[in-house]
Amino acid sequence: MSIISQITRDEWRFWKRTKIATTALIIGTLLALISAVVNTIEMEHATHEREHLQHTSESRFLEQPDRHPHRMVHYGHYVFRAPSPLSIIEPGVDAFTGTSIFLEGHRQNSAMFSEQRQASGMTRFSSLTPSFLLQVLVPLFIILIGYASITREKQAGTLNIMITQGVNLSHLLFGKYLALLCSGFLMLLPLVISAIWATTNGESVLLTSSFVAGYVLYILIWSGLVLAVSAMSKKSSASFAILVGMWIVFCILIPRIGSSSAAALAPSLGKLEADFAVLEELRKLGDGHNAADAAFEQLKKNLLAKYEVEKIEDLPINFRGSVAQYSEKKLTSVLNQFAEKRMEEELSQAQIARQFGWLTPTTAIRSFSMMIAGTSLETHHRFLREAENLRFEFVQSLNKIHQDTLDYQADINRHNDDKAARVNASNWQVLSEFSFKPDASTVRLASSTPYLIQLVLWGVIVIFGLRFAVRRIS
Amino acid sequence: MKFFSNITREARFLFKQKYLVGILTAVFALSLFSVWSGLSEMQTQSSTIERLKEKDRVDRENVLAKQSGYGSAAYYAFHLTYSEPSNLAFAAIGQRDVFPWKHRIRMLAIEGQIYETDADNPELSFLGRFDFAFLVSVLLPLFVILLLHDLRSSEREAGRYDLLITTAVKQKYLWLTRAFVLSASLALVLLVPFVIGAVISNASFVGTSLIVLVVFAHIVFWTLLIVWYTSNKMALKQNSTQVASALLSVWLMVSVLIPATTDVAIDKMVTSPNGGDILLVQREAVNDAWDLPDSVTWDAFLATHPQWKNYTDMGLTFEWKWYYAFQQVGDQKASELSEKYRQATLEKDTLASRLALLSPPMLTQRLMSSLAETDTQAAMQYEQNIRAYHNSLRHFYYPLMFTRAEFSLDKMSELPDFSQFSKK
Repeated sequence: MSIISQITRDEWRFWKRTKIATTALIIGTLLALISAVVNTIEMEHATHEREHLQHTSESRFLEQPDRHPHRMVHYGHYVFRAPSPLSIIEPGVDAFTGTSIFLEGHRQNSAMFSEQRQASGMTRFSSLTPSFLLQVLVPLFIILIGYASITREKQAGTLNIMITQGVNLSHLLFGKYLALLCSGFLMLLPLVISAIWATTNGESVLLTSSFVAGYVLYILIWSGLVLAVSAMSKKSSASFAILVGMWIVFCILIPRIGSSSAAALAPSLGKLEADFAVLEELRKLGDGHNAADAAFEQLKKNLLAKYEVEKIEDLPINFRGSVAQYSEKKLTSVLNQFAEKRMEEELSQAQIARQFGWLTPTTAIRSFSMMIAGTSLETHHRFLREAENLRFEFVQSLNKIHQDTLDYQADINRHNDDKAARVNASNWQVLSEFSFKPDASTVRLASSTPYLIQLVLWGVIVIFGLRFAVRRIS
Repeated sequence: MKFFSNITREARFLFKQKYLVGILTAVFALSLFSVWSGLSEMQTQSSTIERLKEKDRVDRENVLAKQSGYGSAAYYAFHLTYSEPSNLAFAAIGQRDVFPWKHRIRMLAIEGQIYETDADNPELSFLGRFDFAFLVSVLLPLFVILLLHDLRSSEREAGRYDLLITTAVKQKYLWLTRAFVLSASLALVLLVPFVIGAVISNASFVGTSLIVLVVFAHIVFWTLLIVWYTSNKMALKQNSTQVASALLSVWLMVSVLIPATTDVAIDKMVTSPNGGDILLVQREAVNDAWDLPDSVTWDAFLATHPQWKNYTDMGLTFEWKWYYAFQQVGDQKASELSEKYRQATLEKDTLASRLALLSPPMLTQRLMSSLAETDTQAAMQYEQNIRAYHNSLRHFYYPLMFTRAEFSLDKMSELPDFSQFSKK
């Protein structure tokens, strides 16, 4: 044991003497710290802003004057997606999906105004988020610090001396590994602090600790890779070239090739094109604004039979309101069917891109990190579904008010006497509050498992690599 | 002649080294992949637009056949707008995955429709695409570094340095020739797939040459930087990995840190109205109109369309002309905010183009997407085209609605077509 710790301490002493390692370590840690602070401030700001906007939107709806209920269906409502606490580290798709949706009758709008659309376009490769730093840059820093850890000893001839002095090779490697890990963990420290911050903001401890554990594993993998390559190379320059090459391939190339392949392998039709089919279906349903549309003949017959009357005018309810309710229901089920299909398509594209996690630990940690943080595509889809539920609920409540509260004659006559065809503003209370919560921790842990398996596999590969390296030296 | 014999000698020496050949082959394969995936993406986009055009035409014909008035025709008929990928778009997908390139609009208030996006899969956009521009702007410097960082140090480490220096006629030429051979071969393996792609997609000679020029310029920049750095006194004492680390940190600085910090800075420098506010203003204006006296709508409408002041009489029932008038008024009320929003986007882009001078990789990327017409400018131009087209729809329908013209399908065949607006 003392040998291991001595080797570790020697390694530290060596780094202190050489400039590259210390510089890399200082820059890496500083960057991680700065990005954590900047991102935390920005996300906190976004959270407050979106909560505020949500609140404003709700009170505006409630403040509307007496109106025809169908006017409120078209007046509509806004919902905003509040970021999850861990998005201070991993913003995920947040900047690329719009974060607000306008909800109105007869339509499912897409989320609008994504941040990237209003950004300078400078961050298409890099960004100052802790997740980018840890996933992409920290491996490079680990390489710069550790590429020579074994080759140095080989080139100086000290490795042979140590071996002849009876130093166990595994102990030597382990000591060096510990030293390298410490530097990796130092750069991870700002993330741990951010994670603790997220915990105080209501994230479950189980989640934040597995989040940190995922990144610890990632650092273990990269440090192991660096050490294994260094142990297997003859010269420092070769070790360096191989490691930088691996970094380019693993951290930059494969994730992007994954995304390009997904787009090419599973092309999605796009909302616009799918909308043609939606419109086609919707036209068959009839226009809910026109109660005389032939599509509502059956509804009319059923209602007349139910209330045992002859004419629409004799119904105790407002037939136009019934039609609005009936057609909104039909229309929504068609819209949902297409929306679900579209989400499935998007998800299968994402799944292809995520499979590249078997080829690079960077894609694996990225998927894992988005899943745990609740900033993945799935979370965005859930936001779309919850927004849709709210839309359907308030639109149908308004339609019910239309049916039950508004007099049919007054409604028919609305163009001549517009004041009589209104209902009291107190009815607008049907709108329920919207607050988007991240998935439960069990759900997020379960959905992150496949990517944890990818990471573990990489861990196993590294262990084998290190054992192979030990055998090769001796 | 001396020059050529120097080059062939160095080339023969360098290409005997397996790892150099390996790197060059890998770059060639990557360039091939990026060009292929770009071509396939643009092929998909073009054929999507063609398909949409046809579906749009059929759909509109079906809808119009069922209409009996211009008001309802304008309400139910959608119109496709699109931005065709340029012939060079395969090389730089640019902002095309963030901004929309296809859109269907109708004659309702444009502000309520124009921000709808049929965007790409957000997770794929987040991961980023691997296009030729990315290869050239971000990865190319790394390849140049890998190839050239040990120009001198490798010879020193091989023990040939002193010998080389004493035998070379002029040692400066030796390193320059070597750097030239390596960079030229790098340019060759990068550009061959690109030029093939340009020929396949029928790109213009000028555009293709300009992109080739940008690629050359970027390679030359990094080559000179490395040659200069490796020849200074400090670097002469360093071993090859120390040189490479120093060069890598330069790369890190210009392709990661500068872009990321300028992005934050630009965001702070330009104040933009919240996009949601545009929709909110437009929505309040349009919805309030139902409850307001007609005269309020007409006053605001006639302020911009005085030619219709004698045609605002309202019948007993619902009037479409009034409906479209308040849609127009909704746009007018939101136009100031909307214009500010657009200006802010453009201002950010202008600032980014200036600050990109600090970062050669960003500059390269911006130049390439500008040549490929996939940059923010092009996206904003498309947005303006949509607005102009929407306006022409209004010009088409207003006279028909205000003069209560008899509905005729023949007249509808004169509907403006977006293809006249899709050109710059």
